[in-house]
Amino acid sequence: MDMRPPPPATQTQGHLLIDDVVKVYDPEGAAVLAVDHCTLEIEPGEICMIVGPSGCGKTTLLNAVAGFHDITSGRILMDGEVLCSTDRPRSTPGPDRIVVFQNGALFPWKSNLENVIFGPVMQGKLGRREALDKGRAMMGDAGLSGVEHNYPGEVSSGMRRRVEIVRALMNDPKVLLLDEPYRALDSLTKSVMHEALLEIYYKNRVTIFFITHDLEEAIFLGHRVAIMTTRPCKPKKILTVDIPHPRDYSVLTSKRFRELIEETNDAVHEEALKAFQAGEKEG
Amino acid sequence: MAATLPVVAEDDAIAVLREATPFGEASPVVLSRIAALARPARYAAGERIYTAGDAADDIFIVASGRADHVFEPEVGAREPLKRVTRGGVFGWAGLLLGQTRRLATVTAVEPTEVLRIDTEALVALLESQPQEGGQVMARFAAMIRREFAVPELLAQVRRLSGPLTEEMSSLSLTMYRLSLWLKSPRPYLMLIGFALFLGIWYLAVEVWKLPRFREMPGLTTVVKEWFSPSPTYGLSLYTEEYYKHIVVSVWRVTQAFFLATVLGVTFGLLLGWSQRFREYVFPVFEMLRPIPILAWVPLAIVMFIATESAVIYLAFLASFYATALNTMLGVQSIDESYIRAASCLGASQKQVFRHVILPGALPFIFTGLQISIGVSWFSLVAAEMVSGQYGLGYVINTSYVMVRYPTIIIGMATLGLVGYTTSALVRLAGDYLMEWRVRELALAER
Repeated sequence: MDMRPPPPATQTQGHLLIDDVVKVYDPEGAAVLAVDHCTLEIEPGEICMIVGPSGCGKTTLLNAVAGFHDITSGRILMDGEVLCSTDRPRSTPGPDRIVVFQNGALFPWKSNLENVIFGPVMQGKLGRREALDKGRAMMGDAGLSGVEHNYPGEVSSGMRRRVEIVRALMNDPKVLLLDEPYRALDSLTKSVMHEALLEIYYKNRVTIFFITHDLEEAIFLGHRVAIMTTRPCKPKKILTVDIPHPRDYSVLTSKRFRELIEETNDAVHEEALKAFQAGEKEG
Repeated sequence: MAATLPVVAEDDAIAVLREATPFGEASPVVLSRIAALARPARYAAGERIYTAGDAADDIFIVASGRADHVFEPEVGAREPLKRVTRGGVFGWAGLLLGQTRRLATVTAVEPTEVLRIDTEALVALLESQPQEGGQVMARFAAMIRREFAVPELLAQVRRLSGPLTEEMSSLSLTMYRLSLWLKSPRPYLMLIGFALFLGIWYLAVEVWKLPRFREMPGLTTVVKEWFSPSPTYGLSLYTEEYYKHIVVSVWRVTQAFFLATVLGVTFGLLLGWSQRFREYVFPVFEMLRPIPILAWVPLAIVMFIATESAVIYLAFLASFYATALNTMLGVQSIDESYIRAASCLGASQKQVFRHVILPGALPFIFTGLQISIGVSWFSLVAAEMVSGQYGLGYVINTSYVMVRYPTIIIGMATLGLVGYTTSALVRLAGDYLMEWRVRELALAER
């Protein structure tokens, strides 16, 4: 299996190493093995897509990186610095690794712009004035001018996702952790969002750890696609997507894209089937 | 051959619009209004639909067939030729800033059916629906940039103008909702409801003289007494006494409610925030809560020497439970991901509390305050009936003892009016503090 990451991008920050991580839920009782000796290395500035069926344990991995969950053993390093290990099972959440949540977590009681400036203002990195200026500029860059003073509940779900990504990027994170962010969107909006994400990525080249169960999405966006086994979760197959960036929607109809889908479809389907059968047994 | 094509039907128009990127997320109401502007048209294969440089009047949405859309070279599109099929939108140049002329030449390749919408009529419609209109325009801009690969510099859509597109102030929003309310049947149904209630009272007591209501004062008796400058039983709108009772009751409720809010919200936030605190305190709280307020009366009188504070204490107690319990539920209802997001973004515990927990719990807190003001009146009147010298509860009780039946009804009706006013004030305060929620609900047309 090819575990080597692709040649590094221009970024020097945002190297992520998941090293032999194990996560057991409820070790004293039911002892559910969610992640099993998982090793994955992500290069600075890489878009790494994690694909697996719902409930396979990929979110557990993301939560461990973000610092929402303990790990049972192994370690996770970012730029050579230990985030968590067997001795110190939970990393501290911080603005260097920002999560964009599955159902969106913009604060509905703050306007879009207030949401965007939340990070730097809370950390005291920027004054309110400077933060507002930077926030407005970044929202403008992401095609969000005009909705600064609207509340998140007033704009479309696609826009909310973009605001949330801008809110994350305001902190100059080293890694962006995306947990199926486009799951709830209709396919039309989704396609617009993919290009918008790439557009933002080409400006920032931030490392992206992107969880999804949509293989097309994974191959369209990612430098590499890690297909995970279902419960316990670990890489089953790692695909290097040799379609050059920058990409746009014409990639979807290209021959190479279809070939890559064909190459990986079986592996994904196999895991989906396993997950389904496991679910049936539990039910 | 164009004539053999079926004409686009009304319902189809909506279906076609829904497939078009700009209208994909528009609500059914807006879609049908846009569909009403659409005029079907047909073009034969090879027919020129418009030529670059023509006046940019209509926007076209393809319903069937195919058309070639060729940009003028000076537009600088990455791909000058674009083939447009069902759901495709062209002729949008009129929506761009400062554009009045067509930027491309469009020719039907096959027999093609389209919907034509006048640009200015569409803009006017979108301006009347500022929130959704803004979204449609934003989607137009995205489509022009992405699907037509027009450079960003050119693809700037017009800004919708109109009073409501600017930041909607709370006042204008309230006025807008008020005008909607007056246009709806609701206020009139409400008036009918009142008329029915008063009518049945009048008929049952004064016309049919039903046996059960023999001792009841009739509607006309009560109204006459209430509005009489020299009331038979000493209490009406013209007597100073009447207002003194109201003021005393309102002042007691205000104190009780204020105290209950300050203590109840604090206590509830602590209960919801700290598991430890909850484990100590909640069981006791849950055991005390079901004890009816009336059961506290003797103890309250023993505890507080002055009757005034005993009455306030009783009104406070019921309010406090409602507020504290709802605040706690409010804190617990907050989605975990908000707290996680805040900690990701580098907020400290204190900041999470101030910026996430407090505003997140606010909707529940205000539900609690609505209940709280109600039960506060309830227990106040009960307490005033037992002890005290003034207040509306006292009026009702003494009028009963002294057989002044119309005055009982005056007291009751006054309580209803004053109670309603206070809870409306609480609701207004909530709307003011939770503008985000008011706007969300307004968008959902609730």
